Amino acid sequence: MANVILKNVVKEFKSVTAVDRLSIEIHDREFAVLVGPSGCGKTTALRMIAGLEPVTSGEIFIGDRRVNDVEPKDRDIAMVFQNYALYPHMNVRDNLGFGLKMRKFPKAEIDQRVQEAADILGIHELLDRKPKQLSGGQRQRVAVGRAIVRKPKVFLFDEPLSNLDAKLRVAMRAEISKLHRRLGATIIYVTHDQVEAMTMASRIFIMHRGALQQSGAPLEVYKQPANRFVAGFIGSPAMNFIDATLVREQDTYVIDAEGFKVRLPEAFYERLEPYAGRPVIFGVRPEDMAARDAAAGGGNGNTLTARADVVETLGAETFVYLTCGPHSIVARMEAPEHPLEVGQSLAVDLKMPKTHIFDKETSQTIV
Amino acid sequence: MSHTLSAISRFVDRRQALVYPAPAVIVLFLIVVLPIAFNLYLAFTKWTVGLAQPRFIGLDNFLELITDERVWNGVKVMVYFSGLSLCLELALGLFIALYFNREFRGSEAVQAIYIFPFAATPVAVALIWRVMLNPEIGVLNYLLRSIGLPGSLWVSSEHTAVLSLVMVDVWKWTPMITLIVLAGLKSLPPDPYEAARIDGANALQIFWYITLPLIRPVLIAALMLRSLDNLKEFDMIYTITQGGPGIASETLYLYSYQVGFGFFKAGYGSALMVAVFMIVLVFNVVMNRMRLSALER
Repeated sequence: MANVILKNVVKEFKSVTAVDRLSIEIHDREFAVLVGPSGCGKTTALRMIAGLEPVTSGEIFIGDRRVNDVEPKDRDIAMVFQNYALYPHMNVRDNLGFGLKMRKFPKAEIDQRVQEAADILGIHELLDRKPKQLSGGQRQRVAVGRAIVRKPKVFLFDEPLSNLDAKLRVAMRAEISKLHRRLGATIIYVTHDQVEAMTMASRIFIMHRGALQQSGAPLEVYKQPANRFVAGFIGSPAMNFIDATLVREQDTYVIDAEGFKVRLPEAFYERLEPYAGRPVIFGVRPEDMAARDAAAGGGNGNTLTARADVVETLGAETFVYLTCGPHSIVARMEAPEHPLEVGQSLAVDLKMPKTHIFDKETSQTIV
Repeated sequence: MSHTLSAISRFVDRRQALVYPAPAVIVLFLIVVLPIAFNLYLAFTKWTVGLAQPRFIGLDNFLELITDERVWNGVKVMVYFSGLSLCLELALGLFIALYFNREFRGSEAVQAIYIFPFAATPVAVALIWRVMLNPEIGVLNYLLRSIGLPGSLWVSSEHTAVLSLVMVDVWKWTPMITLIVLAGLKSLPPDPYEAARIDGANALQIFWYITLPLIRPVLIAALMLRSLDNLKEFDMIYTITQGGPGIASETLYLYSYQVGFGFFKAGYGSALMVAVFMIVLVFNVVMNRMRLSALER
């Protein structure tokens, strides 16, 4: 097992910079997830770790070894590809054993390791089939199995679940997490799906436009996003961003957005001081807004009134798409007792301690 | 009158599937089916063109064929010429395709120039080769001697005639195999190659374990396509050697032409044609079986 370190890694394709000075350190036995929208450079980063793409500049270490000029086969890694990349002319058994055969393992040991992998993944009955006789989920298992048999230091997963249907994806997600615990290996996993990232990772690395935006434990990046991009990317539905002005009123700070005004908690004041009177972006997650019928009274005082445009009922929860002055807002609410009507006026209480404020110029988090 | 017209139009409407293809079917019947059927009929007759009418003689032509030494010579030359040229074209075509299947400067220009040989008119090219192969005035011997090697008799010797023809055939047709194989290589999925690189295969192992099995159906298809022409190679051999010296480069196909149009023995010539047809047929049935089983796997 080994840690993986990238130091100032840059990848340029002609005039495009796909990965821009990426520096990350993935610890031994960690489940690291590189996540970001398509084109953010995450797959390129993974392919550089694998050795399938040469780096333009910077250094990559696997274990204690600098691997910039080491062939993929000598890096002691295994990779699971998005579209499985099985050898179409070989049966499952030969697919699994190919890497060992190339490394001149004795036949008995190849057989034994293939059996082990088949046990772990429950693919015994598939061993004599060809890839094209398998379903998507089965192919994915074989692809994972091909990585397992090699017992590499580092596993690389490139969007392995994106070709599976939603149900299977959830099941495989849990299985890969289990596999990680069982193998105790270092895993670097690339996905564009923030749900996969949140559920599987021990640490998330969020990338955007080739650069690392933030890294940390899933809950940490969820609760304390470093900038507006991370705040908007992690969480579903995405955080609401509202253009507003930070106003100082006597001893308090107030968010003044067109259509509503809310008072910020005291804990924020120290960091808000330099921004008084300046335009900011006010961020609230849908789950930190509680919508209720405007006719009923009460509330915590930090309340805005809005009109319901669209109501999405998912059973356990309901999402309401609201209009408040010029702003469009999504709020989550407990399943209401009376069905909501489109156009109905709702009062929305904000959980102010959980709100975020971003610098409008730099998009960096202020609070 | 109008009654007849409407009857015709009703017939056309009801039988569109028969009526519309009919002209093409009739033409094809006249220029393809009829000659083949006539050839088959002639194979069972004795007919010297211009001297008599075809006379049915049953299997006599085929019995004569078995004992005709020139037939066996023809088969031998055919196997020698086709076996060697097809193998060389396939091997060279594959390796040149592998070489072209990557990015390099000017690759498009090189590929365009590379396909000239098979784009050129066969007889014109053969005539040029005949001059180049001439032991006295040919450029090949000039080149050999200029670097201190002895010249060769090329097609003027019965020992090197077929080899020389193989050389010309390989020069002319390898580019076609290359094109077909290149198209096949370009359609192969890229990710098994990356998986194999990570799995620890070196370039040679990737070729042997990944490329070759995946490209095999294409190779066999190229071989079938090429063999259809190659087994009945005529214009090139006829232009350069006329089957000579003696009968050293006379394939069965050339001999059957000689019998039919040189000796005007149309019946026996037709029987020889049937024999050539059977060889081509059997070869291609076998190849097609191999292709299908390669696709299965």
